[in-house]
Amino acid sequence: MLEVRDLTHAFARVRALRGVSFALDRGEVVALLGPNGAGKTTTIRCVTGCLTPQGGSITLAGHDLAREPLAARGRLGYLPESAPLYPELTPRQYLTFRARLCAVPRRDRARAVERAMDRCRITDVARRRIGHLSKGYRQRVGLAAALVHDPSVLVLDEPSNGLDPTQIREMRALVRELASERTMLVSSHILPEIEQLADRMVVIAAGRVLASGSGESLRRAHAGGTRLVAEAAPGPGALDAPTLPGIRLIEDAPLEGAWRRLVYEPATASAPAPDDADPRAALAAALLHTGWRLRELRRDEPTLEAVFLRLIESAAEPAPNAKEASA
Amino acid sequence: MSATIAIATRELRAFFRLPVGWVVLALYAALTGAVFVMDTLRPGEPATLRAFFATAGVLLMGVAPAISMRLFSEELRTGTLEPLLTAPVSDLALVLGKYLGSVLFLIALLLPTLAFPITLALVSDPKPDPGPILAGYLALLLLGSLVLAVGTAASAMTSSQTLAFLATLIVLLAFTLTTSRLPSELNPRLGEALARWSPTTRLRDFARGVIAPSHAVYFLALAAVALSVAWGAVAGRRTG
Repeated sequence: MLEVRDLTHAFARVRALRGVSFALDRGEVVALLGPNGAGKTTTIRCVTGCLTPQGGSITLAGHDLAREPLAARGRLGYLPESAPLYPELTPRQYLTFRARLCAVPRRDRARAVERAMDRCRITDVARRRIGHLSKGYRQRVGLAAALVHDPSVLVLDEPSNGLDPTQIREMRALVRELASERTMLVSSHILPEIEQLADRMVVIAAGRVLASGSGESLRRAHAGGTRLVAEAAPGPGALDAPTLPGIRLIEDAPLEGAWRRLVYEPATASAPAPDDADPRAALAAALLHTGWRLRELRRDEPTLEAVFLRLIESAAEPAPNAKEASA
Repeated sequence: MSATIAIATRELRAFFRLPVGWVVLALYAALTGAVFVMDTLRPGEPATLRAFFATAGVLLMGVAPAISMRLFSEELRTGTLEPLLTAPVSDLALVLGKYLGSVLFLIALLLPTLAFPITLALVSDPKPDPGPILAGYLALLLLGSLVLAVGTAASAMTSSQTLAFLATLIVLLAFTLTTSRLPSELNPRLGEALARWSPTTRLRDFARGVIAPSHAVYFLALAAVALSVAWGAVAGRRTG
């Protein structure tokens, strides 16, 4: 439905995109993740036809964006970040305007506008000026405008940015409803939200795709596997916190009193220990044996945030050869 | 075509939904009206609208850039250009739609001034000659269309309305000065070549009631050049 192949783009001296590729199948919801300045917004601006990339190609519902820009853009619905709208219009006027721009036939226009307003629950403010609406409503007007011509692909850039918690919840519910019926590319900073929403995630940083896959597969591949967290206190004459083959200590932080928080992770990050090799019992024994007291020992599933941070950090490290090859 | 009209109507409505449109409209009607009442509507004055047209033309040079400065600059500033650029509308249709909207507002600006020839026809004896009046309005429309086209181009290049306004004014003044004032300072052959591009001599013909098709072509062709510059500027927005 949407195929992005090897996008490259540079602004003045900054290489914003260095070969970004990904694809969305029909009905798939894909999240675009990355720190600020990673190339997320540039990618989205390219996909929506706002910006012509210097290299690479984009195919939208079978239409090449460079060769058939109007046909391709006609299949696209786009909600830009912070939903820019005309404040002097009412939602109904704005949606009618968008429907005309997107060549919705005159006889279907009124119905398309009503349907989009109904879908985004803005019918109650249809006659008020957009400039007088709350941010949450404005965002939904922007979303309705992106839907009014029934596009094949929906692109949302930070759909819940700048909203208050109630508005975020409404917007999230709305986006989730839409996700069940459409092909969607969403960018967001709010990772737990995105994990619930998206079938797949594409993580980009420094203008290239670092990883892509479901939340589960990213966790397994990039977060160093399941960690062990122990809360223990060294007894009199205790040795240093013990290590075991297969796991390594990555954190030793003081808690109250003599208690310390010890965090272990599998020694080989990409190949986590299989379940039958659960090292908890061995670790507990080792701690007690070296004169520590143990009050808690638990397994800790990495959050998506941890995955994300680790990916970004690894991309920022100057060491690997990959960096050199890219320069 | 439908998209062009949709953009033009939104643009025209925006002028009337915002205070700036009404202010421009009221100021233009008030100033030209004052000139009409003080210079023309007096016993013993000839039944012509020359004084009105002369003032209206000069005023238009200041008012038209204020109309066109919004067209793209406002959308660039607020970010609404982005959804517009992603709509299935060609850049040319977008530029033409915006321009057409501003020309329609120009027509709305001139409509109230029709009260002057009507008044004149009612109160004066002998009746005014319709030729120069028609020619005068045509000249205002052509001049206005040219200023708006230059203004559209300026507006497509900056997100600052002030800058768009000033750039339009400066380009127009520079062009008028080089073609109208400079030729007398140059050697006759170069001067003559430059003077042929002067808008003021053509406007003087219109004021005398002469409607020469070549003059209309001149204004429309220059407007087309300015609009293609605007087109290029909008297309350039897509390359980053």
